[in-house]
Amino acid sequence: MSDFIGRHPVWSLVILILLALLVFLVVAVWPPELEQVLGRKRVFLNALLNGITLGGLYFMVASGFTLIFGLMRNVNLAHGSLYLLGGYIGYEIARLTDGWLFSLVAAFVIVALIGIVLQFTIFRWMEGQDLRQTLVTIAISIILADIMLWRWGGDFYQVPMPSWLGGPVQVPLITAMRSSGELVFLQYPLVRLVILAGAVAIGVLMWLALNRTRIGMIIRAGVDDRDMLSASGVRVQIVFLLVFAFGAGLAGFAGVIGGTFQSLQPGEDVKILLASLVVVIVGGMGSITGAAVGAVLIGLAEQFGSVYMETYAVVLTFVIMVVVLAVRPQGLLRGY
Amino acid sequence: MAVVEAPRAADVPPGQATGKSAIATALSAYPALWLLVLFLLLLPAFASSFVLVEIFGWALILGMIALSLMFLAGYGGMVSLVQMSVAGCAGYMVAIFGTSAVAEVSLGWPWWLAVPIAILIAVIFGTLSGALAVRTEGIYTIMITLAIASAFYYFTHQNYTIFNGFSGFNAVRAPRTLGIEWRAPVPFYYLTLFGAAVAYLAVVYVSRSPFGLALQGTRDNARRMAALGFNVTAHRIAAYTFAAVIAALAGVLLVWHGGQISPGTAGVGPVIDILIIAVAGGLGRPIGPFIGALIYVILRTFALDVLEGVGLDGKRFQLLIGLGFLLIVLFSPDGVLGLWSRWRDRLLQPWTDVRARDGGP
Amino acid sequence: MPTSVAERLSAAGTANALELRGVTRLFGALAALVDVTLTVRPGERRAVLGSNGAGKTTLFNCVTGDFPPTSGTIRFFGEDVTHFPPHERIRRGLRRTYQISALFTGLPVIDNVYLACCGVSRGRFSLLRPRRDDGLMQAAENLVQAVHLAAVKEQRVAELSHGQQRQLEIALALAGAPRFILFDEPAAGLSPPERSELIEILTSLPAHIGYIIIEHDMDVALRVVESVTMMHNGRIFKEGRPEEVESDSEVQELYLGAGHG
Repeated sequence: MSDFIGRHPVWSLVILILLALLVFLVVAVWPPELEQVLGRKRVFLNALLNGITLGGLYFMVASGFTLIFGLMRNVNLAHGSLYLLGGYIGYEIARLTDGWLFSLVAAFVIVALIGIVLQFTIFRWMEGQDLRQTLVTIAISIILADIMLWRWGGDFYQVPMPSWLGGPVQVPLITAMRSSGELVFLQYPLVRLVILAGAVAIGVLMWLALNRTRIGMIIRAGVDDRDMLSASGVRVQIVFLLVFAFGAGLAGFAGVIGGTFQSLQPGEDVKILLASLVVVIVGGMGSITGAAVGAVLIGLAEQFGSVYMETYAVVLTFVIMVVVLAVRPQGLLRGY
Repeated sequence: MAVVEAPRAADVPPGQATGKSAIATALSAYPALWLLVLFLLLLPAFASSFVLVEIFGWALILGMIALSLMFLAGYGGMVSLVQMSVAGCAGYMVAIFGTSAVAEVSLGWPWWLAVPIAILIAVIFGTLSGALAVRTEGIYTIMITLAIASAFYYFTHQNYTIFNGFSGFNAVRAPRTLGIEWRAPVPFYYLTLFGAAVAYLAVVYVSRSPFGLALQGTRDNARRMAALGFNVTAHRIAAYTFAAVIAALAGVLLVWHGGQISPGTAGVGPVIDILIIAVAGGLGRPIGPFIGALIYVILRTFALDVLEGVGLDGKRFQLLIGLGFLLIVLFSPDGVLGLWSRWRDRLLQPWTDVRARDGGP
Repeated sequence: MPTSVAERLSAAGTANALELRGVTRLFGALAALVDVTLTVRPGERRAVLGSNGAGKTTLFNCVTGDFPPTSGTIRFFGEDVTHFPPHERIRRGLRRTYQISALFTGLPVIDNVYLACCGVSRGRFSLLRPRRDDGLMQAAENLVQAVHLAAVKEQRVAELSHGQQRQLEIALALAGAPRFILFDEPAAGLSPPERSELIEILTSLPAHIGYIIIEHDMDVALRVVESVTMMHNGRIFKEGRPEEVESDSEVQELYLGAGHG
């Protein structure tokens, strides 16, 4: 990071100033003049936290996507379908067993197994044929989408949330100050905070796995240089299977989570896939940190957009993507 | 990034960079082409309006859009998913600058003003998309263009001042000029046939011009092209411009065909369908996309009957498409054209063996 | 950025063909080139020799413009091209061949050469097919003759033998009006008669065309050049006439044994 600051002193200063501004906005009590311009602070804080938690969800999906691409050069356009499938499976299992946590694990395992089957029976034979693999993933996404439509129809489902996750929680962020001098704190849904914590935990675990374990080193080396991977004598196919399974499982897992605080319906697969595309374009392909930064950025853009620029919320996300492509096509974090 | 199979140098034998016109060479090399041309020209004599417009007309339009994708993918190694959006953009602009039922937005200009402007705007859109997509490695092109295509969809869906949001435009009518009602079945069929023929011949011709050869060079070895003095980025963007012209023309025909345009016309589904059509037909030669389009349109029209015949719900059309596409990518990645050339080679094998043995021609 | 023609001409009159000053290229922690300073006169023929990993190909990549040097400058006929993209350098007369033939495998031989001729000319973006009497097409045909590939000019690259592909590789570098060529191991994988043909082609190039040749085959290299530069670990460690370098004790210690034969 000191490297970055050394090479880009102006940008570092700009980012620092923006961060300081953000901290001020979040922590301080807003004077009435500020509220006139920006609206209620509570709205701002909600958008901020919603954006970050949405970013957490996006991170879970995009990190699997970027890992699969980074290592196996496979642009898995069926990733969104795996997400939705995991969500539906989680819904069914949660309904049957009344166990939300269990349905999370089950969705991860089942979708991971599907991933293993796909990698073992199809993608294994197409190594080096990047375009062909992508076309296959498109075919699979079409097939899965129609099967899901067949089975679950066009209604929208929501994974039942366990009662211990329900309800709001007080967060130590000030929204306003009453005339009596008493401070009002933000009430925020517990489930979203738990999801955020989960996403962070997953991110940290992934970072540890990639940077502190032997297999993680192998994977990182493979992402940097695929030829080196086969030369290192490691059973490449096993590593590919593991990575695809993990990426797919994570998508399914995220599907249950998305199904809990958002909803499950036809079209969610496309939406999450597109969000993942934008996240990795912005963050940089093959980079987990890039996926994290990109996810938070896009999550915030979407939420702030929908609150403050209602008609063009979606456009804001794509504008960010276009700017990144124009100025730094390899993504914000690639190359660091 | 090489596409599934590096396409052959052209339909036309090499060395034909000079000399005979594309038409003459193609026709002399492939007598079957004479039959096809004759068939297409005489079709209105024995086919119903439905077949003319909803099967062949529709296939020719989709084929043109898929051709613009094939041009970029087959000759340039760039799989662009933004071509359908370019067509959609042109269609929208025809509705916006011309007449439609949405009087608050449409400007009501005459078609001979609206159409060129529509094409110009769509070509600019296609060129800018190309400019964004070409500076990264080939494999990202499909992702970036998909993202741009969905941005276009969402924007047209949300914006009401220009694009009239969810409803889009209807009552967009093809003109009536030279005493002909151009949306009538027979004239419209010939119009689309003309458009498709022009696009097809343009692609065949340009593929062996310096521009086309340079594009193929950047596909085969971009680094070497730079080391020969070519500005690879500029050539790629120019290719997007050329492809956008074809897609834009198709887009005008598209909006006239349906008389309406809405965000769903260029939604993610149709965008992927164009890719499927191009790959299924074959990315190696310009006739491929049209073959793929015809198969797709016929499937779509008769899917209900086919599915119910097999005992499935008629609504499972997408499943059929997905499975078909999967089979093609797994077993014949160069599409129907690839199947055809392998089958033909196997049929002719005894004869070529004989000729080689006798030292014949 | 590109200078005016007048500036270029006046610089070219007195300038060296190629001048590297303090060129360093780092790849992360790996120093592929360290403080390389090199001067080549117009029309000079030089060999750059050294073991694998000495930095020879990195040197070529820097000069062609595949990546900029981490530090240092590169001047081509007096013009500072350090930050020019490859195609700008090529249009000023630089050419290069590759160790592993970089050909257009989807196109026939004649189109490969035609593209090379187009690259530095005005008709690059032309949508019109060339006429029978087109100058560039003629130039391409002549070039194909000159490298003895006329018999196979309609064949696709994939159908050529290795030796023929290497000949085509050289033809691509001779197109247009080259002033200076970088040959990267042109003799790699050639049979003895093919090697003689290569030597003939190199020695019969017009006198104003200078070149640098990277080669492991010392016999070929020393026969076609008038000066030698030895590299080791990214640095230049010896320069001189072929006989001088060949008989130098340091060079013998490091290379001869592996180099000869």
